[in-house]
Amino acid sequence: MALPETGATTVPAASSTKVPRRRGFSVFGIRVLIYQIVLLVGFLALWEYAIRAEWLPVYLYGQPSGIWRELVKGVESGALLRDTWITAQETVIGFIIGSVAGSIAGLALWLSPTTAAVLRPLMVALNGLPKIALAPLIVVWFGVGMESKVAIAAIITFIVAMLTSFAGSQEVDTDYIKMMKSLGASRLQTFRMVVVPATIPWIASAFRLNIGFAMIGAVVGEYISAEAGLGHHVYYSGTLYNLNAVWGGIFALMLLALFLDAIVGLVERRLKWQ
Amino acid sequence: MQEDRATVLAAENVKMTFNADTPEEVTAISSISFKLGQGEILGIVGPSGCGKTTLFNIIAGLLPPTAGMILVNGKRVQEASGHVGYMLQKDLLLPWRSVIDNVTLGLQVRGVPAKESKEIADNLIKAYGLKGFEHTYPAALSGGMRQRVAFMRTLAFSPDVILLDEPFSALDSQTRLLLQADVIRIIRERNCSVVLVTHDVGEAITMCDRIVVITSRPGRVKSVHTIGIDPSLRHPLKIRKQPRFNELYDTIWDELGIQFAA
Repeated sequence: MALPETGATTVPAASSTKVPRRRGFSVFGIRVLIYQIVLLVGFLALWEYAIRAEWLPVYLYGQPSGIWRELVKGVESGALLRDTWITAQETVIGFIIGSVAGSIAGLALWLSPTTAAVLRPLMVALNGLPKIALAPLIVVWFGVGMESKVAIAAIITFIVAMLTSFAGSQEVDTDYIKMMKSLGASRLQTFRMVVVPATIPWIASAFRLNIGFAMIGAVVGEYISAEAGLGHHVYYSGTLYNLNAVWGGIFALMLLALFLDAIVGLVERRLKWQ
Repeated sequence: MQEDRATVLAAENVKMTFNADTPEEVTAISSISFKLGQGEILGIVGPSGCGKTTLFNIIAGLLPPTAGMILVNGKRVQEASGHVGYMLQKDLLLPWRSVIDNVTLGLQVRGVPAKESKEIADNLIKAYGLKGFEHTYPAALSGGMRQRVAFMRTLAFSPDVILLDEPFSALDSQTRLLLQADVIRIIRERNCSVVLVTHDVGEAITMCDRIVVITSRPGRVKSVHTIGIDPSLRHPLKIRKQPRFNELYDTIWDELGIQFAA
């Protein structure tokens, strides 16, 4: 089972890539949509046929009709919804704690260059570390319940938010700082009136990255040790070679990820000034 | 013309050495002295690398000089404290603040009540041609308008001295002439005391009452010129027709010692 790899976090530039917005339906847009539907339906039909014709074993690949049955069963029994709810809570709580605390910590380092200099080697090390590697430790410390998943998500997102907001605060044009100084501004005034607002776009970018990291953290935590949640569902079904249930869980994770990303995307857009 | 003015700013034997007592020791400024009278515009002109920016930072109180001192209204400048307002080539507007909020920045730093500072900013914006743009954000303004806002921000908190460091050099030539004319007019109207640091000799003659020519590194005062052109003839477009303009222009270029491959 391939785990999503977080790898080293590269600090994002303070700009978002602009995706052209679809306005109404152009002829081009409709054509693209038709191709997409044909491709998806074709792929599912081929997959289904390959299983039914016994080209591929169902216990290794699953089967679209079987996945659908699993999804319906999961929704009707409430088990899938319960797992989704648990993973969503772990992700969101961890994300909020980690992102907010991390952003504040990164910004605060601007106020104390000495602390920042002392912590620099640690930050370089954390930046290079695939942060998900910390997960087993955190499970050992926080146990098998939801707390450990929240903690994994919080710690990963804390590191990302801190590094990003610190990097952003260091990128503030020194001429602004000089100008504030010449106006007679205290360091705290400069911080409040220039550094914090100038770093907000970086923080917004970190939030966008972090919702993904928080979910990876929660799910990997569930893989390692849990009694509920979508990660637990996927992992447990995998050990039973119930590939349909695995795919059902992955599908639910995908929907949850899209939903959370859309919400954070809205927040991100509001936080970014032009 | 300036003898009877009260001295607002004085530089006394200012010297600046970087990396003192190391092999990389560089003396940027060997000794510079000058006086700026109330309501006077003083130009500082020098070849590149004459320590203009260093001098600028020293006057603003951002950099303590190695020797000598800067006095503002007779008081020694120890650190940046809002006695000097400056304007650079970069407008340094805060992009998340609207025009009016950028203009009030200096007042806000000083703790002037919001209502009062808004009034000051409003009057400036109305008087100097940005009415209707109060709530526009800098990103939507042209380069010339942005510099205008930066200038108002400088005026708003009525500093003792205004420092201008090549404030027009990033603008296209039309906008530059217009803004120069406006800035001169406003400075005269408000009787501001101004130091203009520039490498543009024509700009210095157009705008200033006196010009201090600085030598290349290490910088020291080479000569001081009194412009002596009547203020009514000082419009950037008119002044170029004055014989005195050309005479000064040639003299100062010669003094800068810049060789042209003819």
